[in-house]
Amino acid sequence: MASVLLPASLLLAVLMLIPELFGDFMAYQIGLYLIYGIAAQGIGYLWGKTGVLPLGQALFFGVAAYVTAIALRDVQGLGAQLVLALLVLAVLAGAAFVLATLIFRGRSESGPYFSLVTLALAMIAEQVAGTATGLTGGFNGLSGFQSLAALDPFGGFYYVIVAATVLVSLLLLILNRLPATLIARAVADNEPRLQLLGFPTHVVKGMAFAFSAVIAALAGGLFASHQGIVTPTSTGFALSAELVILAAVGGRFHVFGPLLGAVVVGWASAELRDSFPYWELLMAVAFILVVLKAPGGLAELIERAFRQAWPAKPPVPQPPLEAPPPLAAQAAQPLKFQDVELRIGVVRILNGVSFETPATGIVSIIGPNGAGKTSALNTITGNLHPTGGSICLGDARIDMRPPYRALGSGIGRKLQVPSVFFSMSVSENLTIAMMAGRARRLDYLKPSTFRWRSAALARVLEHPSVPLKDEVTQPVGTLPQGHRQFLEFAMTAASAPPVLLLDEPCAGLSPDETALMTDLVRQYQAETGALVIVIEHDMSIVEAISDKVLVLHQGRVLAFDTYAAIRADPQVSMVYAGGTK
Amino acid sequence: MSLVLILNLIWQISTLALVALGLAIVFGKLRIMNMAHGEFVMIGAYAPVITASLGLPGWLQLPVCILTVALVAFVLERSVIRHLYGRMFDSLLATWGIAILLREGVELIFGRGYQSVSPPIAGTVTILGADYPAYRIAVIAGIAVGFAVLAWWNRRSKVATRIKAMVGNPELAQAVGINTARLSAGAFVFGCCTAGLAGLVLAPTIRIEPMMGLDYLIRAFFALVVGGLGSLEGLAIGAGIIAGTQSLLGALASQTYGYLAVLTLSILFLWLKPDGIRPSSR
Amino acid sequence: MTTLLEIDGLTGGYRDTNVIFDLTTRIAPGKVMGVFGRNGVGKTTLARLVQGSLLPAEGMITLAGAEITFRPAYERRALGIGYMPQTAMVFDDLTVRENLSLGQTGHAPDLYFERFPRLAERLDQLAGTMSGGERKILAFVRAMIEDTQLIVLDEPSEGVQPENIDHMAACITERAASGAGVMLCEQNLSFLTGISDHYLGLDAGSVVLDKARDKATQDEIRAILTL
Repeated sequence: MASVLLPASLLLAVLMLIPELFGDFMAYQIGLYLIYGIAAQGIGYLWGKTGVLPLGQALFFGVAAYVTAIALRDVQGLGAQLVLALLVLAVLAGAAFVLATLIFRGRSESGPYFSLVTLALAMIAEQVAGTATGLTGGFNGLSGFQSLAALDPFGGFYYVIVAATVLVSLLLLILNRLPATLIARAVADNEPRLQLLGFPTHVVKGMAFAFSAVIAALAGGLFASHQGIVTPTSTGFALSAELVILAAVGGRFHVFGPLLGAVVVGWASAELRDSFPYWELLMAVAFILVVLKAPGGLAELIERAFRQAWPAKPPVPQPPLEAPPPLAAQAAQPLKFQDVELRIGVVRILNGVSFETPATGIVSIIGPNGAGKTSALNTITGNLHPTGGSICLGDARIDMRPPYRALGSGIGRKLQVPSVFFSMSVSENLTIAMMAGRARRLDYLKPSTFRWRSAALARVLEHPSVPLKDEVTQPVGTLPQGHRQFLEFAMTAASAPPVLLLDEPCAGLSPDETALMTDLVRQYQAETGALVIVIEHDMSIVEAISDKVLVLHQGRVLAFDTYAAIRADPQVSMVYAGGTK
Repeated sequence: MSLVLILNLIWQISTLALVALGLAIVFGKLRIMNMAHGEFVMIGAYAPVITASLGLPGWLQLPVCILTVALVAFVLERSVIRHLYGRMFDSLLATWGIAILLREGVELIFGRGYQSVSPPIAGTVTILGADYPAYRIAVIAGIAVGFAVLAWWNRRSKVATRIKAMVGNPELAQAVGINTARLSAGAFVFGCCTAGLAGLVLAPTIRIEPMMGLDYLIRAFFALVVGGLGSLEGLAIGAGIIAGTQSLLGALASQTYGYLAVLTLSILFLWLKPDGIRPSSR
Repeated sequence: MTTLLEIDGLTGGYRDTNVIFDLTTRIAPGKVMGVFGRNGVGKTTLARLVQGSLLPAEGMITLAGAEITFRPAYERRALGIGYMPQTAMVFDDLTVRENLSLGQTGHAPDLYFERFPRLAERLDQLAGTMSGGERKILAFVRAMIEDTQLIVLDEPSEGVQPENIDHMAACITERAASGAGVMLCEQNLSFLTGISDHYLGLDAGSVVLDKARDKATQDEIRAILTL
């Protein structure tokens, strides 16, 4: 709690002192910078956490500013005005959410396309604002309305801005300490992995975008009331870019960064504009330097200096909390492929694959490189959609659903190259895995969710040979490949899926580690009664763990039988001679 | 539709294709979201202003243009851009800073006011009964020939493959012997020079001023979005659709509607067909 | 004995943290050096320091008498060091054919197509759409056909089917027989011990075993892997 209230109170104290120390005119100017800073804080959250860069945030800022101007001119009574304001915020949030989820649906990255869409929308808004003279006053803008509650922009209204600034900062400080933000960060880190853990990432991004849009709109409303005039530039490309620059310079990873950026840049331009002819050159160079040398912006530089004087205390380990059971608890069911075909471009990868696994047990998939083993798993999780045939789990058809629904239908997956959240610590990785398939909506807003652990996960972690326990606070990016294999296995097993797909879990492991991994796989199967499907090349492992073996060759099923029968099959030994490590 | 309108359309499309060519290389191949692309068009357009103010003969416009743009691009690549490969959003921000830098720099030298230059070829030619400026006809023909040569060279040379290899996997590219620093600098400078060239040929037909770049940047971006980043063919299609929509609606309705149509079209493509009409992977 | 690659007192790693400490060893032409050790002991870092993707903090690397310690990777390739990385080992956006033709090639790939017929069938497929094992094979063949005198291989057998591992072993032995030095970093012990002329065992970034094939025992090797 102190880590939230202390910085927020400090901010409040500093902002309250400004009119006393520097006078009302300075407070008026700082008020404007803070308004831009609030909008930039929304960008900072969206971009710094989820990795989505909005290039048209002035759209929400501007629309809200115009609506506020019209409301202040035409609607009587503070109450009605505030109700209207809330209504506008809700509408803009809804629109932003729909826009982002629609564009991000079916994708697993945040490339530049969405950013360019927001940019184009802001440009349309600017164009419309300039043309629809009847509504917006055209290029001259809307003016001649009173400030909110008739407060003086050079006096009382400053405190409204301060209140908004502190409230938004407080909200962000709290949000940053909740599981919801951990999920947002996971989107930026490794979106395909988060989808396989059952999170609809397009919805996560949609909510983050809506949140940032609301903050931008709030700032836009304050702007109209503060400035007394709204013109098309309040909703255009230039302001959008400016807001992004403020977030970048101030520091997008920190709550106060964008505020700092707005005040520093605003104040420096005001000071230098008249006295120093090259000030814009100077600002441009400073901005380029920040992007190149200090991607975390001013806030990160300050924090680093601060941390040298007062090093951060290591987090106190919290007592674990028994996690709730998985939401979609199902029994293991047989997996059935029926004439599954998969073609990518002209390349035929699966040519009519049919088989039906038992409902429980360990099934190994072997076959020459390029036989279609990984692709078969991709069709099960929905990362690839078959171009023919059907895949059923029990009676439910599963081949056309998106990857984020795989876990919900009972399927967990470990990928071939270990795929974890590389910028996060081991314990953060495990927290996300514990939320997978278990967390309800409200759990994302409860700090206690961080402490969730399950007995199954503890058994993996506390196994005397599993290398992860000494590395819980280490960023995963520094772990060697083999340790990442164990981490990803632990994360996939954490949600206790009744169907567990493991793609070469022993790749890159030493002989001892390989033995450990096969132990863990067997243990998982025995404890959960799950159906485990393993792709493996090493025949000694296949022999040791398999109830049945599926042999794929050139996208077809060559054989599907017990290990002994496969070993004796002359057709199999023709295409696939076994060997061991 | 009158013949002059069609010729104007061809003029718009071919000059936009030339403007977008450099961005197709820098954004499409090097994955640098170059927000300063329009500023290289702007610098190129100032080349005739430079030669005129120095009293140099007209034929020096081309070498002055290429040298100036290449020098600026090279310095920027070595000092800023080379840190940004593989960091697309950072490249967007840093080049936005570069764009401001170049605009302000040019403003300090030449002032904020409009400049204009006269075309090196005066007079008109008559095509199928319509009079059209000879200069524009020459430029259209030049761009057509230039794209043909480029397409021919692109098919024969391995440079496109090497750039693709470098951008996809820089470490392995070095391991197979590609000097990535030289290749990326070369590609960036070449892309900027084509932008400068576009500015030079456009110069006699527009108002030259420090802020002129942004409009070219945006239209070039949207031409690439619509056409796809993969091929010269996609580039030509994208330029055709963007410039075509804008000029037709501009002529039939108003400039605003043309502009809004282009933006709407781009949003639809970004949303529903983000790889454009001709996607980059084959 | 002539020396192809000399490593003297090499210390290096990533920006802030060294992974390899004061490492000294030699690779002779025509010999295969098998580098092994548990996960995280620095095999990949050593490979990258030799190949030039990483530059060392201290020490000296010499190839055929010429110092290359701080030479960039593309110059080392020109001097004759070939490299197959552990991850990101092919150009995903290029076809198999383009992958194979990008470096200066000294050896015809046909010989390798006989052993790995999959590649020959897939020449026009994008490498990124191939399976993990196929990409390993492509990367391996790419490194083998280059005209190099030292080949650095980082975990070539990971995810490769057993008989293709045998083919890989045969290819490496042949290249060594024709005079190339090979530095093979591997987890797969039977593959490694099957073809190495010399062993380099690593633990925590330092050499714990540096012996010729006939001087090292299986127990010694196992002991290093279970330290």
